[in-house]
Amino acid sequence: MKTSKAEFDATCNLFINSVNNYFRHLTEIDSELNVPYLKQSEGLMLKDYTGMIGISGNRKGFVYISANRDMYEDLIKIFIGIDDPSDEDILDMAGEISNVVAGNVRANLGANFMISVPVVFKGMPSQLKIPDDVSIYVVPIMWNNHEAFVVIGLQ
Amino acid sequence: MRLLIVDDSSIMRRIIEKNLKDYDIQIIGMAPDGQTALQLVKEHMPDVITLDITMPGMDGLACLDEIMAVHPKAKVMIITALSDKLTGLRALDKGARGFLYKPVNAVDLAKAFDRLLKRNENKQGRV
Repeated sequence: MKTSKAEFDATCNLFINSVNNYFRHLTEIDSELNVPYLKQSEGLMLKDYTGMIGISGNRKGFVYISANRDMYEDLIKIFIGIDDPSDEDILDMAGEISNVVAGNVRANLGANFMISVPVVFKGMPSQLKIPDDVSIYVVPIMWNNHEAFVVIGLQ
Repeated sequence: MRLLIVDDSSIMRRIIEKNLKDYDIQIIGMAPDGQTALQLVKEHMPDVITLDITMPGMDGLACLDEIMAVHPKAKVMIITALSDKLTGLRALDKGARGFLYKPVNAVDLAKAFDRLLKRNENKQGRV
Protein backbone atom coordinates (compact mmCIF):
# COMPACT_ATOMS: atom_id res chain seq x y z
CA MET A 1 0.00 0.00 0.00
CA LYS A 2 1.38 3.40 -0.93
CA THR A 3 2.25 5.74 1.90
CA SER A 4 0.07 8.89 2.05
CA LYS A 5 1.79 12.28 1.95
CA ALA A 6 0.95 12.90 5.61
CA GLU A 7 2.41 9.52 6.61
CA PHE A 8 5.45 10.14 4.45
CA ASP A 9 6.10 13.54 6.04
CA ALA A 10 5.57 12.17 9.53
CA THR A 11 7.93 9.25 8.90
CA CYS A 12 10.59 11.56 7.48
CA ASN A 13 10.34 13.72 10.61
CA LEU A 14 10.89 10.64 12.77
CA PHE A 15 14.10 9.91 10.87
CA ILE A 16 15.27 13.51 11.22
CA ASN A 17 14.62 13.41 14.98
CA SER A 18 16.44 10.10 15.21
CA VAL A 19 19.50 11.51 13.43
CA ASN A 20 19.55 14.56 15.70
CA ASN A 21 19.27 12.38 18.78
CA TYR A 22 22.10 10.13 17.62
CA PHE A 23 24.62 12.96 17.32
CA ARG A 24 23.47 14.86 20.40
CA HIS A 25 23.41 11.83 22.67
CA LEU A 26 26.74 10.38 21.62
CA THR A 27 28.81 13.45 20.82
CA GLU A 28 27.08 16.34 22.61
CA ILE A 29 27.38 18.20 19.30
CA ASP A 30 24.08 18.95 17.62
CA SER A 31 23.55 18.25 13.95
CA GLU A 32 22.12 21.09 11.88
CA LEU A 33 19.42 20.46 9.39
CA ASN A 34 19.64 22.12 5.99
CA VAL A 35 16.63 22.51 3.73
CA PRO A 36 15.21 19.06 2.89
CA TYR A 37 13.85 18.42 -0.56
CA LEU A 38 12.08 15.78 -2.59
CA LYS A 39 14.40 14.24 -5.09
CA GLN A 40 12.98 14.31 -8.59
CA SER A 41 15.83 13.28 -10.86
CA GLU A 42 17.46 9.88 -11.25
CA GLY A 43 20.63 8.91 -9.46
CA LEU A 44 21.62 8.78 -5.83
CA MET A 45 22.86 11.53 -3.54
CA LEU A 46 26.05 9.96 -2.25
CA LYS A 47 29.16 10.93 -0.37
CA ASP A 48 32.14 8.59 -0.02
CA TYR A 49 30.74 6.02 2.44
CA THR A 50 27.14 4.92 2.87
CA GLY A 51 25.12 2.72 5.18
CA MET A 52 21.71 1.68 3.88
CA ILE A 53 18.81 -0.02 5.65
CA GLY A 54 15.94 -1.76 3.88
CA ILE A 55 12.48 -1.15 5.33
CA SER A 56 9.62 -3.63 5.22
CA GLY A 57 6.41 -4.34 7.12
CA ASN A 58 3.98 -1.46 7.54
CA ARG A 59 6.27 0.83 5.50
CA LYS A 60 8.35 -0.20 2.53
CA GLY A 61 11.48 1.45 1.22
CA PHE A 62 14.91 2.34 2.49
CA VAL A 63 16.91 4.90 4.38
CA TYR A 64 20.57 5.62 3.95
CA ILE A 65 23.11 7.94 5.51
CA SER A 66 26.05 8.97 3.38
CA ALA A 67 29.05 11.01 4.45
CA ASN A 68 32.69 11.51 3.66
CA ARG A 69 35.45 9.70 5.46
CA ASP A 70 36.37 12.60 7.74
CA MET A 71 32.98 12.59 9.47
CA TYR A 72 33.23 8.90 10.28
CA GLU A 73 36.84 9.39 11.40
CA ASP A 74 35.72 12.06 13.87
CA LEU A 75 32.99 9.81 15.27
CA ILE A 76 35.33 6.84 15.65
CA LYS A 77 37.90 9.07 17.35
CA ILE A 78 35.24 10.20 19.84
CA PHE A 79 33.87 6.71 20.42
CA ILE A 80 36.98 4.55 20.70
CA GLY A 81 39.94 6.90 20.37
CA ILE A 82 41.34 5.55 17.10
CA ASP A 83 43.09 8.14 14.91
CA ASP A 84 43.54 6.16 11.71
CA PRO A 85 40.60 3.80 11.25
CA SER A 86 40.66 1.25 8.46
CA ASP A 87 38.23 1.31 5.54
CA GLU A 88 36.50 -1.59 7.25
CA ASP A 89 36.03 0.53 10.37
CA ILE A 90 34.65 3.43 8.33
CA LEU A 91 32.12 1.17 6.60
CA ASP A 92 31.20 -0.41 9.93
CA MET A 93 30.58 3.05 11.38
CA ALA A 94 28.42 3.98 8.39
CA GLY A 95 26.36 0.83 8.87
CA GLU A 96 25.96 1.29 12.61
CA ILE A 97 24.70 4.88 12.33
CA SER A 98 22.09 3.88 9.75
CA ASN A 99 21.08 0.89 11.90
CA VAL A 100 20.58 3.01 15.00
CA VAL A 101 18.76 5.81 13.18
CA ALA A 102 16.36 3.37 11.51
CA GLY A 103 15.91 1.19 14.59
CA ASN A 104 15.00 4.15 16.80
CA VAL A 105 12.09 5.02 14.52
CA ARG A 106 10.41 1.85 15.81
CA ALA A 107 9.81 3.65 19.12
CA ASN A 108 7.05 5.48 17.26
CA LEU A 109 6.11 3.11 14.47
CA GLY A 110 6.26 -0.15 16.41
CA ALA A 111 7.62 -3.60 15.66
CA ASN A 112 5.83 -3.83 12.30
CA PHE A 113 8.28 -1.26 11.01
CA MET A 114 10.90 -3.82 10.08
CA ILE A 115 14.50 -3.04 9.20
CA SER A 116 17.24 -5.04 7.53
CA VAL A 117 20.83 -5.40 8.61
CA PRO A 118 22.87 -2.56 7.10
CA VAL A 119 24.23 -2.70 3.57
CA VAL A 120 27.41 -0.64 3.40
CA PHE A 121 29.36 0.60 0.42
CA LYS A 122 32.10 2.95 -0.62
CA GLY A 123 31.49 5.23 -3.59
CA MET A 124 28.82 4.30 -6.09
CA PRO A 125 27.72 0.66 -5.85
CA SER A 126 27.53 -1.15 -9.17
CA GLN A 127 24.48 -3.25 -8.38
CA LEU A 128 22.19 -1.08 -6.28
CA LYS A 129 18.63 -0.94 -7.57
CA ILE A 130 16.30 1.75 -6.28
CA PRO A 131 12.62 0.93 -6.92
CA ASP A 132 10.76 3.30 -9.27
CA ASP A 133 7.73 3.61 -7.01
CA VAL A 134 9.36 5.30 -4.03
CA SER A 135 9.24 8.96 -3.08
CA ILE A 136 12.72 10.08 -2.12
CA TYR A 137 13.37 12.76 0.46
CA VAL A 138 16.87 14.16 0.85
CA VAL A 139 17.85 15.73 4.17
CA PRO A 140 21.26 17.42 4.10
CA ILE A 141 22.73 17.75 7.58
CA MET A 142 25.85 19.30 9.05
CA TRP A 143 27.57 17.80 12.05
CA ASN A 144 30.85 19.16 13.39
CA ASN A 145 31.44 20.93 10.04
CA HIS A 146 30.86 17.75 8.04
CA GLU A 147 28.03 17.48 5.54
CA ALA A 148 26.06 14.26 5.27
CA PHE A 149 22.93 13.17 3.45
CA VAL A 150 20.07 11.35 5.10
CA VAL A 151 18.01 9.94 2.25
CA ILE A 152 14.62 8.38 2.88
CA GLY A 153 12.79 6.44 0.17
CA LEU A 154 9.26 5.20 0.90
CA GLN A 155 6.60 3.64 -1.28
CA MET B 1 32.71 -11.65 36.04
CA ARG B 2 33.35 -13.00 32.57
CA LEU B 3 31.74 -11.15 29.69
CA LEU B 4 30.89 -12.01 26.09
CA ILE B 5 30.11 -9.10 23.73
CA VAL B 6 27.83 -9.87 20.77
CA ASP B 7 27.22 -7.26 18.09
CA ASP B 8 27.61 -7.32 14.32
CA SER B 9 29.30 -3.91 14.46
CA SER B 10 33.00 -4.06 15.24
CA ILE B 11 32.89 -0.42 16.33
CA MET B 12 30.04 -1.14 18.73
CA ARG B 13 31.87 -4.14 20.21
CA ARG B 14 34.89 -1.93 20.85
CA ILE B 15 32.74 0.86 22.35
CA ILE B 16 31.34 -1.61 24.88
CA GLU B 17 34.80 -3.04 25.58
CA LYS B 18 36.32 0.43 26.08
CA ASN B 19 33.59 1.63 28.40
CA LEU B 20 33.68 -1.43 30.63
CA LYS B 21 37.45 -1.63 31.01
CA ASP B 22 37.38 -0.17 34.52
CA TYR B 23 35.00 -2.82 35.75
CA ASP B 24 36.23 -6.04 37.29
CA ILE B 25 35.23 -7.87 34.14
CA GLN B 26 37.18 -10.29 31.99
CA ILE B 27 36.09 -10.16 28.36
CA ILE B 28 36.21 -13.77 27.21
CA GLY B 29 35.25 -13.05 23.61
CA MET B 30 33.45 -10.95 21.04
CA ALA B 31 31.08 -12.31 18.43
CA PRO B 32 29.70 -10.67 15.28
CA ASP B 33 26.66 -12.95 14.97
CA GLY B 34 24.41 -15.29 16.90
CA GLN B 35 26.00 -18.52 15.71
CA THR B 36 29.49 -17.49 16.81
CA ALA B 37 28.07 -16.22 20.08
CA LEU B 38 26.44 -19.55 20.80
CA GLN B 39 29.71 -21.41 20.23
CA LEU B 40 31.50 -19.07 22.64
CA VAL B 41 28.75 -19.45 25.23
CA LYS B 42 29.09 -23.25 25.10
CA GLU B 43 32.88 -23.05 25.36
CA HIS B 44 33.22 -20.40 28.07
CA MET B 45 29.85 -20.18 29.90
CA PRO B 46 30.24 -16.41 30.47
CA ASP B 47 28.52 -14.80 33.46
CA VAL B 48 27.35 -11.77 31.49
CA ILE B 49 26.51 -11.37 27.80
CA THR B 50 25.72 -8.16 25.91
CA LEU B 51 23.57 -9.10 22.94
CA ASP B 52 22.57 -7.11 19.88
CA ILE B 53 19.34 -8.10 18.11
CA THR B 54 19.69 -7.06 14.47
CA MET B 55 22.46 -9.29 13.17
CA PRO B 56 22.98 -11.33 10.01
CA GLY B 57 21.95 -14.97 10.20
CA MET B 58 20.67 -15.87 13.66
CA ASP B 59 19.32 -12.67 15.21
CA GLY B 60 19.66 -11.74 18.86
CA LEU B 61 16.23 -12.94 19.98
CA ALA B 62 16.75 -16.38 18.42
CA CYS B 63 20.23 -16.44 19.92
CA LEU B 64 18.80 -15.55 23.33
CA ASP B 65 16.51 -18.60 23.18
CA GLU B 66 19.52 -20.82 22.42
CA ILE B 67 21.64 -19.23 25.15
CA MET B 68 18.92 -19.71 27.76
CA ALA B 69 18.63 -23.36 26.73
CA VAL B 70 22.31 -24.10 27.32
CA HIS B 71 23.22 -21.51 29.98
CA PRO B 72 20.12 -20.27 31.81
CA LYS B 73 22.16 -18.56 34.56
CA ALA B 74 23.77 -16.15 32.09
CA LYS B 75 22.89 -12.52 32.71
CA VAL B 76 22.02 -11.25 29.25
CA MET B 77 21.77 -7.55 28.54
CA ILE B 78 20.21 -6.68 25.21
CA ILE B 79 21.78 -3.65 23.53
CA THR B 80 19.81 -2.80 20.42
CA ALA B 81 18.63 0.02 18.18
CA LEU B 82 15.15 -1.56 17.98
CA SER B 83 13.48 0.81 20.39
CA ASP B 84 9.87 -0.38 20.31
CA LYS B 85 8.33 -1.67 23.53
CA LEU B 86 7.30 -5.04 22.10
CA THR B 87 10.86 -6.04 21.29
CA GLY B 88 11.96 -5.14 24.81
CA LEU B 89 9.15 -7.10 26.39
CA ARG B 90 9.85 -10.12 24.18
CA ALA B 91 13.51 -10.07 25.17
CA LEU B 92 12.71 -9.85 28.88
CA ASP B 93 10.16 -12.61 28.50
CA LYS B 94 12.82 -14.83 26.92
CA GLY B 95 15.13 -14.35 29.88
CA ALA B 96 17.13 -11.16 29.29
CA ARG B 97 18.04 -9.41 32.57
CA GLY B 98 18.50 -5.95 31.08
CA PHE B 99 17.70 -3.90 28.04
CA LEU B 100 19.47 -0.88 26.61
CA TYR B 101 18.50 1.13 23.55
CA LYS B 102 21.18 2.39 21.20
CA PRO B 103 22.62 4.94 20.87
CA VAL B 104 24.44 4.17 24.11
CA ASN B 105 27.13 6.32 25.68
CA ALA B 106 29.46 5.60 28.59
CA VAL B 107 26.95 6.78 31.19
CA ASP B 108 24.19 4.57 29.78
CA LEU B 109 26.45 1.54 29.87
CA ALA B 110 27.65 2.26 33.39
CA LYS B 111 24.14 2.64 34.76
CA ALA B 112 22.96 -0.50 32.99
CA PHE B 113 25.89 -2.57 34.25
CA ASP B 114 25.52 -1.20 37.75
CA ARG B 115 21.92 -2.38 37.72
CA LEU B 116 22.78 -5.70 36.13
CA LEU B 117 25.59 -6.46 38.52
CA LYS B 118 23.68 -4.98 41.47
CA ARG B 119 26.49 -2.60 42.23
CA ASN B 120 26.24 0.61 44.21
CA GLU B 121 26.65 3.67 42.04
CA ASN B 122 29.52 4.96 44.16
CA LYS B 123 31.42 1.71 44.13
CA GLN B 124 34.92 1.77 42.68
CA GLY B 125 35.07 0.84 39.04
CA ARG B 126 32.14 2.85 37.83
CA VAL B 127 32.87 4.31 34.39
